[in-house]
Amino acid sequence: MDVLLVEDDAILAKDLAAELRECGHQAQIVGDGRLALQALVDRKFDAVILDRMLPELDGLSVLNRMRAEGMTLPVIMLTALGKSADKVEGLEQGADDYVVKPVDAAELNARLMAVSRGRQWNMPENDTISAGDITVSPLRHRAWYKGAPVVLPKVEFQLLAELVRNADRVLTRAMLYERVWDYDFEPKSNIADMYIRRLRLKLMEAGCDDPIVTVRGIGYMLRA
Amino acid sequence: MRPHSLRSLSALFLIVFLVATILTGVGTLLVTQRTITRLVDQRIAGENMEVSGSDHPADPARVRALITLFSQRRDKGDVGFLLTGPKGHFIAGNVRLARVPPPGYSTLSAADHIPGLTHGRAFTRDIGNGMILTTLAETEPIQNYNSARVRIYVLGFGSIILIVFGGIVLFGTLISRRIREMRQTVDAIIDGNMRQRVPVDGSRSEFDQQARAFNRMLDRIAALMDGIANVSNDIAHDLRTPLGRLRGQLARLRREADTPAMREGLDQAIAQSDALLEMFAAILRIAEIEGGDRRAAFAALDLGALATEIGEMMAPVAEAEEHRLEIGPCPAIPVHGDRRLLSQAIINLIENGVRHTPPGSTIRVRAARSGDEAMLIVEDDGPGIPAERRADALRRFGRLDKARNRSGHGLGLSLVEAIARLHRGRLALEDAGPGLRAVLAVRAD
Repeated sequence: MDVLLVEDDAILAKDLAAELRECGHQAQIVGDGRLALQALVDRKFDAVILDRMLPELDGLSVLNRMRAEGMTLPVIMLTALGKSADKVEGLEQGADDYVVKPVDAAELNARLMAVSRGRQWNMPENDTISAGDITVSPLRHRAWYKGAPVVLPKVEFQLLAELVRNADRVLTRAMLYERVWDYDFEPKSNIADMYIRRLRLKLMEAGCDDPIVTVRGIGYMLRA
Repeated sequence: MRPHSLRSLSALFLIVFLVATILTGVGTLLVTQRTITRLVDQRIAGENMEVSGSDHPADPARVRALITLFSQRRDKGDVGFLLTGPKGHFIAGNVRLARVPPPGYSTLSAADHIPGLTHGRAFTRDIGNGMILTTLAETEPIQNYNSARVRIYVLGFGSIILIVFGGIVLFGTLISRRIREMRQTVDAIIDGNMRQRVPVDGSRSEFDQQARAFNRMLDRIAALMDGIANVSNDIAHDLRTPLGRLRGQLARLRREADTPAMREGLDQAIAQSDALLEMFAAILRIAEIEGGDRRAAFAALDLGALATEIGEMMAPVAEAEEHRLEIGPCPAIPVHGDRRLLSQAIINLIENGVRHTPPGSTIRVRAARSGDEAMLIVEDDGPGIPAERRADALRRFGRLDKARNRSGHGLGLSLVEAIARLHRGRLALEDAGPGLRAVLAVRAD
């Protein structure tokens, strides 16, 4: 992916760019908000990683101008403070995701991949979604394997729906807690891992060959 | 009993003032009357002497002539003269009395049937030669003078009392309002809103100046607190950034590591940096909660339902650690709060129970309502915490089992307590006999 990295901390930006390159992306660094808007006009990017606190024009204003000018490319905000109010504000202004510093490259990569494939809100929620032989209906809370219904408790079902929605992309634990549990914190105990294990068992009981891949130290992925 | 409240002090003052005013009014009335009586007495005695002359016995012809003369004189027209014989029969004079007053001074009233006289004084003296001379005068120069005077007093003192009463009420209201404003500010600050200030009206009055001084003090405290918060935030951030970088490098090395020993060592190093990052996250989380901003996003929720939901969610997690998690009665209790923070608090308490009890222990989650307190209770049948050490358990970084080197940064309960305080509640640790009972109490709706 071709990423514009807007970050005024030069060392952090350099490190992050190097790590993004390791993950197979290209990253152009700009140090302030005005230059970021200029760079977006000059060239086409696949995504923007935007620090919230910037000299000249802060991150939220850059985001505002981008959206006002009809730029729809995905934006991931970076913030030093993990305050939920900041997060809500960023998302309301049109950010696609939010990452709290210090940024873990694997986490950022997973989130970049997740936001890159278009936005989920285009998809009608009453429709079923599928990945491989697994089909789920988020609205009816029903799941099927090869057309046969699979009965799942609430948490396991929501977990499966999120994995199917992001098939072939890694979901980190933080992402799972945010999206499945709607938590803005990561519990100490391995709740996510526990429920992945229970989901796996249920799917295997239904005759499914374990479709969930564990990505060591990062998270989980559903093979399509 | 000494009055302490502004209201009782005002009431006491008013009562004392009222009594003093009435006493003054009555006293003034009495003294005035007595003075008038004394002056009238002097006058009639003087007239009496003047008519009778210095000779004793007096000369009847002279006495008669003087009475006639004085009765016509402008300056003596208000004095009545009556000369009677020893049997009381009229000899001369300008008034007639039904009875001759006894010798000396006496008081006359309307009963004496003297035209135009309701209150008066008489002086009667034997002036010799079988003559008794009575001089008399009114003590009330105007008709119904006394009742008029009472009316004047009631009106005058009454309006004074009304003015003072109004003044006190106004004064009391003013002071009460200022005190209320100050108390509201103090309450807001106790609730964590450090930006609240006492209203100032720019009048430069004593109250205004006090409010300004109070606000300056708050500004100073806020600046100091900001300083401390910034320092801890800065430390957490400044340490987190290099630590995050370190963790990233370790993760990269882990991916490239080719011997099992190296991988194991790197895994441990990564786990340790994760534990440190987690601790900083907890410090920043507590700082965020204590800031009070999240209160703006409070919404109505059911604490009992939340306890059930999280209890059910955590049961398999506890089971994996060979603990049993029971969900006790969880009646619906409406509260106003932050769902995510309350979830985190309940999860923390359950995790705490699992971590500090031996395998095979039972942890029980329940909800209860007591008055206007909604309580979320997590109790275990483990070893518990001795009463004298429970305060340590709530202290930041206060870990009780340092020697056993268990995992945990000692911020878990501090975080729960911060969440309780944000909800204007409290966290209490009690003896569950056996075991520990943690009670998270918040205000019920």
